[in-house]
Formats: sequence, C-alpha cells, structure tokens
Amino acid sequence: MEEYHNGSEGSFSSEEAENVVKEGIESVLGGDDYSQTHVNKWTAGIVERCLTQLVKLGKPYKYIVTCSVMQKTGAGLHTANSCYWDTSMDGSCTVRWENRTMYCVVSVFAVSIA
Amino acid sequence: MEEYTSGDDGNFNTDETSVLVKECIEGVIGGTDYNQNKVNLWTANIVEHSLTHLVKQGRPFKYIVNCTIMQKSGAGLHTANSCYWDTTTDGSCTVRWENRTMYCVVSVFAVSM
Repeated sequence: MEEYHNGSEGSFSSEEAENVVKEGIESVLGGDDYSQTHVNKWTAGIVERCLTQLVKLGKPYKYIVTCSVMQKTGAGLHTANSCYWDTSMDGSCTVRWENRTMYCVVSVFAVSIA
Repeated sequence: MEEYTSGDDGNFNTDETSVLVKECIEGVIGGTDYNQNKVNLWTANIVEHSLTHLVKQGRPFKYIVNCTIMQKSGAGLHTANSCYWDTTTDGSCTVRWENRTMYCVVSVFAVSM
C-alpha cells in the first residue's frame, strides 16, 4: 500500500485539496532554505494553514493533515499510507514539494461525516 | 500542531493501539538493517498488518495508518499532524521506533463512524 494520488472518489475533490495544499506549502516554505531552528514552526504552520483552508471549503468532512519536512542529504525516505474507510465518500491527496535544500510531503485524508 | 500522542479520546484506546503497532513494526523490520531494495515492501507490510489487526478489533472506526522509514544519516526529519474531527470520539496514536540504521514512525488515526 504505497503512497499514491487518489483519484476523485465520490464527493472528495482531490484537485481542490491539492491546490489548497500547494498554496499552503508555498506560502510557508517558498524561498527558504532548510533551517533546523525554523522547521518545527514550518511544519506546524503548514498543517494549520492547510486545515483552515480545507475547513473553509465548507464540505461535510473530518480532515487529517500530515506534513513531513526532510533535509536533502542523500538519505532515503519512504512513506506508506493505508486506509480503512468508505471508498465511495472518503479520499486522500498527497503533495510532494521540494527545493534545493529540502523535501516536503503533505497528505490530506478526508473522512465524510455520515 | 506538532506530532503528539493523544490521550484516550472517547472510545479510541491509544495504549492498546500503540502496543499493536509496535508488534507489527518489530515483526516486519525487527533485526534488519536499512535496505533500499526492501524498504518499499516494509512500509507496505507495516501499514497492511497494522490495519488488518486494527480492523479485527471490530470497533466502529474508520482508520488511516501512515508509516515512514528513514535511513539514519544525520539528516533532519520533522513531521506534524493536524486533525479536524470530533475530539470526544476520534483519536490518534504515533509510535516511533529505531534501530542502528533506520528510524520508523507509524501514525494511526481513528475516526468514529
């Protein structure tokens, strides 16, 4: 169950979530180099911003947003997600972003409120 | 909103889940060194085994299991989670595991139905 981009399932719009997330990452990290003193603030800022924007969409979903930032040093990083839910209503979206000094991976999971 | 281990939220049992996940990790990568060829298989197996055991508990939850494995090379890795849900019934649990050559972080999110 490797990480994959979920297609549009039911009411969850993967594309819309992806745009929200990309904008969230860019606004927090765009133009910065990896900095150990700032990275905690960045990851917190990214998840908070993405979550706020997603909730503003006003859809009947609960959300889980995860963000990982890793310094580029040649180390290997592998991530997998597995979900047990209603495949017709729920969905996820993962965005990978990088610049010269770091990688950022943000995943959004949306679970419909019955 | 840095990563934290949530306490008992309503019906979600953090301790029980934590023990279950540790066993799954140990079962898949306990005693092995980081291996680029195998790591994709490991992450897939860890999430699959964890999810299967969680579902077997028969509780009225939807689950999301997330597993990250990183080679130990001195690089910095930071992760944050933020959740918009019903705090009385939903919950999460994060387990950090390491050996000489790699780190493994597994997060379980449980959303009540």
